[in-house]
This record gives sequence, C-alpha cells and structure tokens, in this order.
Amino acid sequence: MWKEIGKFGKKLVEGGYLSSHFGNISVRVGDGITVTRSGCMLDEITEASVVTVDLHKPSSLDLIASSETIVHREIYKKTSALAVIHAHCPFAVIESLLNDTSIEPYDSEGKFFFHEIPIVTGHIGTKELAQNVAKALEIHKGCIAKGHGTFAVGKILEEAYVHTTMIEHSAKVKYFCDLSKNK
Amino acid sequence: MPHIEKLLEIDLDTEKIEVKKLDKKMTSKYIGGRGIGVKLLFDRLPPNTDPLSNDNILIFATGPITGTVVPLSGRHIVVSKSPLTGTAFDSSAGGFFGRELRMAGFDVVIIKGASEKPVYIEIDDGDVNIKDASNIWGKNVKESTSILSNNGFKVSCIGKAGENLIPISSIMSEYTHACGRGGLGAVMGSKKLKAFIVRGKKEIQISDSEKMKKYISESMRLLNASPVASKGLAYYGTPSLVNLINTMRIMPTDNFRKVHFENAYKVSGEYIAENYDIKKKTCYNCFIACKREDRKRNIEIPEYETIAMFGPNSMNDDIEKIIQANYICNDYGVDTISAGNAVSCYIELEGKKDIEKPLKEIVEGGPLSQGSFRYSKGKGKEDSSMSVKGLEIPGYDPRGVLGLALSYATSNRGACHLRAYMVGPEILGKPKLIDRLSFSGKSGLIQIFQNISASVHSLIMCQFSSFALSEEEYANLLSAGVGELYTSEEFIKTGERIYNLERLFNLRESMTYSEDTLPGRFFGEDGISKEEFNSVLDEYYTYRGWNKGVPTMERLESLDLKNEGKFLCGKK
Repeated sequence: MWKEIGKFGKKLVEGGYLSSHFGNISVRVGDGITVTRSGCMLDEITEASVVTVDLHKPSSLDLIASSETIVHREIYKKTSALAVIHAHCPFAVIESLLNDTSIEPYDSEGKFFFHEIPIVTGHIGTKELAQNVAKALEIHKGCIAKGHGTFAVGKILEEAYVHTTMIEHSAKVKYFCDLSKNK
Repeated sequence: MPHIEKLLEIDLDTEKIEVKKLDKKMTSKYIGGRGIGVKLLFDRLPPNTDPLSNDNILIFATGPITGTVVPLSGRHIVVSKSPLTGTAFDSSAGGFFGRELRMAGFDVVIIKGASEKPVYIEIDDGDVNIKDASNIWGKNVKESTSILSNNGFKVSCIGKAGENLIPISSIMSEYTHACGRGGLGAVMGSKKLKAFIVRGKKEIQISDSEKMKKYISESMRLLNASPVASKGLAYYGTPSLVNLINTMRIMPTDNFRKVHFENAYKVSGEYIAENYDIKKKTCYNCFIACKREDRKRNIEIPEYETIAMFGPNSMNDDIEKIIQANYICNDYGVDTISAGNAVSCYIELEGKKDIEKPLKEIVEGGPLSQGSFRYSKGKGKEDSSMSVKGLEIPGYDPRGVLGLALSYATSNRGACHLRAYMVGPEILGKPKLIDRLSFSGKSGLIQIFQNISASVHSLIMCQFSSFALSEEEYANLLSAGVGELYTSEEFIKTGERIYNLERLFNLRESMTYSEDTLPGRFFGEDGISKEEFNSVLDEYYTYRGWNKGVPTMERLESLDLKNEGKFLCGKK
C-alpha cells in the first residue's frame, strides 16, 4: 500500500498541488487507516513513511501519524470513503479566502462532477475542522478548508487524486476568469 | 406527494382487495422498489415458507421517481422468495409497466394466497378487479399479451413455464421486458395468476419540480458525456460487449471451461449491425434505447447476456439459433441467463453441442428446467453447475474480473452481475477504471458498490445510469423527488440497510457463509487463489461489520435493524 501512496505523493508534488511535507494521504484498510507520517516528504515516500492507525479511536501510533489524522479518521467514520488526500493546492486556498461558504466552478468538468465546492472552517488538526470536513464530504467529493487546503475522497486513491486536481483546476479557472472580468 | 405510499393488497384465497398506505417511516428508510419489497417480505413471510405455496407473497413495487420526468426511470421490480435459490429475491424490468401502475393509482401491490382457477388482476385507473383467465391459461406470453393489451393496458404475464412452476421462469412485461431471474414467474404460476394488467390517467407527482429540473440537467450532462451510455449502448445495444469481453479473455466459453471464443465476431454487436435491419426499442423516458429488434421479422435481437450463454458458453456461433432461443425463452417466459447456462451445463455433461434439444427440455419441464444446479446434482455432477446459491452465473468469467468474482460470491441472491455492477469500473472503466486482475482494495469497494446498487434499485433507476452517475446525483434526484434531504452518505447507508436486511432474511432461512463462494472450477492454478479469495472475503466481512457472514448486533443497531436481527441472539 505504501507504494501506491508514494506514487500519488510524487504526482501531487510534481503537479504543484503541495510542496515538501505539507499535505497527507491515507487509505482505509479494513478497520485501519494507513496514513503518511507527520513530517514526511510526500515525493520521497518509503515503507517507513506510512503508519497504520486504528479506524475507530486514536492510539499511541497517532503520535507519529500526520497531524491531520484526526480529520482522516472522522471522514472514514462518517462516510464510505476508502481513500483521502489533503493537499495545499494554491488556487484552492486563494479562492477559499475570496469566498465565504462555497465556490461554484465555471469550467465544465467542475460543473459536471462537483456542482459546487464547499469551504469549511476550523484550525489545523482540530476536532472542529475534522467534523466540518466530514460533514461536507457526506454530500460532496471534496472541499476546501479555509486558507488551508483541499480534502478530497475517493473509492480508490486515484479517484481522490483526480478530485484533488479537479478542485484545483476549477479554482484556477475561476480565479483567472474573475481577474479578467474585474480588469 | 413525498414518498411512495399507495399500497394495494390482494388476497387470491378470499378475493379480498384492500387499499392501504405505506408507513412513512418505512418508505423513508427503504426508499421504494427493492428496499420496500425486501422489508415487506421480511416482515410478512414466516421462515421456511415453501416459495411455491399459497403462503408466499409476490410484491410488485415502484420507486419514488418511477415514471416521472427523471430519465431512465421506467423500471419496476418484483420481490418474493425465490423457488430457485430459496433467498429473498428481487427482479426488475424496464418498459412502461411501472409508470402505468403508478398512473393507475398504486405504488406497491402485494399479492397473497392462491386462486383455485386461473385469474388475472386488472387495475383500470384505480378500479381493481380479479378476472377469470381460463381462456388464456395454457397460452404463451406473446399471445396472452396480445389478448390482454387491448385498450391500452400494460401487461405483465407468465408463459407456460410459469404455469408449470419451472423455477427459472420469468415474468414478462409488454412481451419483451423480463423480470427474468430467480423464477418469480413460477411464484405467479403457483398462485394461478396468469397476468397483471394496468391502465391509468393519474398524474405522477414529484415534490420539488424546480430542484428536480436542476438535478436532471446535471445528470443528463454526465450521461451525455459518458461514451458507454450515449454512444456504445446507443449504437449497438448490449451486444456491443461481445467483442470487448472476448478480447479481454473473460468470455464464458464451453460452460466456463475456456475464456475466449474463436468465432465471437459471428455473434457480436458489429456482426448484427452489418447483417440485420435493426430497429431501436426503448423503455419509458430513456435516450439510450438499448433494445434491438429485427425490423423485417419484428423479432427481438438478444441482449449480451443471452448471446454469451447460448453462444460462446454453449459453443454455438450461429446468431440465428441464439435469436430463436431468445424468442422461445421470452415466449414461454424463461430466464435466458439461467436457461442458457443450463444448456451449457447439459452440453458439458452430455457431450452434445446442440442448444435446441436441451432448450426444448427446459421449456417443456424436463429435469434441466430445474436449473443447472439441481440438474447436475441429479446426475451426481454438481461441480458442472456454474452457479452461486443456485443462481446461474452471467456472462463474465470471474477469473478475469476479480471484483466481480467477490461480488458474485457475496451476493444475497446468488450469482448476479448487477449487485455491485463491477462491469462499469472493472471492464468499461466507468465511472473510474480499476485493475480487474487484482483483489487489492476490492473488499471495501464491493460493499460500497453493492450498497449503492441496492439504493439505485429502490429509486428505481436503470443500472446503466451508473456508467455516469454517482451517489451524489442519485441522492439529489431522490431528495427532489420526495422532498426530504438525502446526502450521498445517507443514500449509501440506505443501501447498506437493504443489503443487511436481505442477508438477515437468508440467515433466517438457515443459509450460512459457506455459500459465499464460487464454483470450484474457478479456483486453482489457472484460476483464483483460494487462499487469497478467502482472505479478501474475510476483509469484506470486516468492512460489512459481519462475523462469518452474519451481521454483528452493533452494525445492525447502527442501521436501525436491531429488531429485525433479534432472531440472531442465542444462535450459534
């Protein structure tokens, strides 16, 4: 499983969806969550870069897991997701700061697959953020934590990756369209 | 009107007809169609009821969007205890019958008891009558439909197979739309109920038209953008799968002893398009129009599954023979998948490559009419039956589609490709391509797709919508239809509830997890590793919150099924 996580970690960094260790990836495996470790470089993932924590409750292994594990766990508890990606996509972060509760994509893929992308609040690694993200993802395939980054889910990791890239694409198109209109 | 609510109960023992309302809590929890059908069956049918006795019940059900402006919403569903598998069983059909039933004034009809003489049920715009069917008993589907469809009635009926209680018999709507699987035609026959005809002018309502307009527009954008829905199926119909499945080496061939058929092209969608003058046929409000007819003879071109079973799996490359077999099955009212699979089994055991003789044996009620499992068991060769829980495997070899393999094995109604519909992601790459040759991640995926399908079958929408729509679009359509918010997650959870209730029904009938498996032929050196399969099955149970195929009380409580699962307490 770490190889699959590594594959998408590399793609995310190469695509500019996050940089260095800012972001995290997880996959649900039965009653466990295999998640990237805190501080790991997502384009240099090895077997030692991931840890499997309990799905239902925190344990000592959470100490070395990503600081956003609390959000991942809440998503898995509240939804049917089998994979989660959190990335610091720049245009998604910008749009989350320019809008209040959601953004409506202008591009056709965004309109087709997302309809709207919710913006949620809550500080990094908090229960509030975990609950708000999970609640949004009960309805949507992805959301943006205000000023922070995207959370996207999938039935497989590739799907969560596609959703992440689509959110960033929609945010980028919207940003430049709005900029042109306001000239 | 919010949820479906108009319930009609007909007792054929006493000819008592009662109009009732469905409980709002129940419809909210089970949506309609398959969900409501299974709930009513679970609540009303005592354990170990003989499926062909007066005590079994037959439920015709629609869903909250059936017959509305929602595209692909023309289906209805029939639920009962199957005489083939002994499980809870739902079987659905397209066409126009479901819409007409709602226009005639009813959403769900429960038929109890059995008549002494042949009868048919007529609903004429709310007016319900039980009528004498002596003059049509003994006639096949085409003739019966022709007699009863005068004056605009939509007809669901059985042929001679159902009358003769053949456990692979179907219920045919408007002649070619089959509630095919599980032998529910025999349940109808056991009640001496030849037909059910409906006609009406009542308006079918939805709760929020404005929102519905928006959600339909969003769904249609996705459906039009899906090449499978808007192009492949729309151009060639389901036979477009023949060459594809054969190329992928998952074509059932010679009773699943091979995976590739040399002459597949001669029975393919392309061959049919080149050699026949094709007329498209459609169900209510469907732009795909996947059904096909030979314009010259007004005879139906078989669907992919029928071609796979009577063609490659029976080592037959003569498309005309398959067209004839399909015609005979539809007219007698026999499931083409089970019949074709049973013919393949016959060919293996008898060593004669002939589909006509065994098919004649099936429709005339010979030993083969009991399905491949009972037939081969009768010969001491049940290893030659390619079935799960008694239901014959359809047209995809599980060795090359491992998610589908797990789905066949864990399906509550036996081998069925529609329970998780992995044909979409594993074969066609829709909505997302996943590796068909790996078990990795499949246990989690299968249970989600099974849950989604259970809710889709309760809405009810055509399975082909899943090539483009996700739980989000389905939840939106449902919400606008009933005027109550369903999130994507609630849509999936409702499906999980339905799936667990079906499992509880089967456990109450004393079924065990030992039946969550595949025929031995698919395991071993050239097939699936038994060890790996068992490990994935255990993982699947973990995702489901089941212990050896039995739901834990904790999981049942989370699904609001505690009462239904009470009988498990104290059971070892």
